[in-house]
Amino acid sequence: MKTVQTEVPEALYNKAVALVNEGWFRDEKDVFAEAIRRFLDTHQSELMQKFVRDDIEWGLHGND
Amino acid sequence: MIEGARDIVCDTGPILHLDELGCLDLLADFKEILLTVSVVKEIEKHRPVALTVKLPFLVLRAHKPADERLAAMCRIFALDRGETESLVIMESRPSAIFLTDDASARMVAERMGFRVHGTIGVIVRAIRRGRKSPEEVLSILSSIPSRSTLFIKSALLKEIALRIKKEFNI
Repeated sequence: MKTVQTEVPEALYNKAVALVNEGWFRDEKDVFAEAIRRFLDTHQSELMQKFVRDDIEWGLHGND
Repeated sequence: MIEGARDIVCDTGPILHLDELGCLDLLADFKEILLTVSVVKEIEKHRPVALTVKLPFLVLRAHKPADERLAAMCRIFALDRGETESLVIMESRPSAIFLTDDASARMVAERMGFRVHGTIGVIVRAIRRGRKSPEEVLSILSSIPSRSTLFIKSALLKEIALRIKKEFNI
């Protein structure tokens, strides 16, 4: 496991703590790891390339 | 405005990026540019000058998603308020096009069956609409890394340029 030190807005951190206090996560580290995992799931290189290629096709050959 | 043109519901990103590239006017041939209150606030915060461009902006107030699936996906994908409100507007205007450069918002929009495109599409579309020459569009695209905050990897930018050159025998 890699250790990453970063700064997050206090409001964001408080929301993470609230999830832990409610029992949804073991600790804040788990919350942030899950958040990053979800972000990476939706920002895969192939997916973003597909979006751009779809845009080019629409740009060149769309009808509106 | 072009007769029969579609409305667009616009997220913050494309407005900022197109304005940074000096081509926000490419949105002028859409019927109406629908912005939510949250999107307007984001633009006012990051690039207020973009709202002074003479375009058919219409600011709408959005409420909660009517479709439970949309509400759930907005939460799961952690969409921000502007993105979520824009998708709520799309619910009531399904023939509109949603413009966003956010991958998560785009994914949710596609899953909801909405038409969705981004800044690159609008720029390339300018050739088809006769608003820019292919050469002008190539110049705009090449300036993206230096003039805008839109991130696109250089290999993909080269691929787009090649595609346009091939399409127009440049």
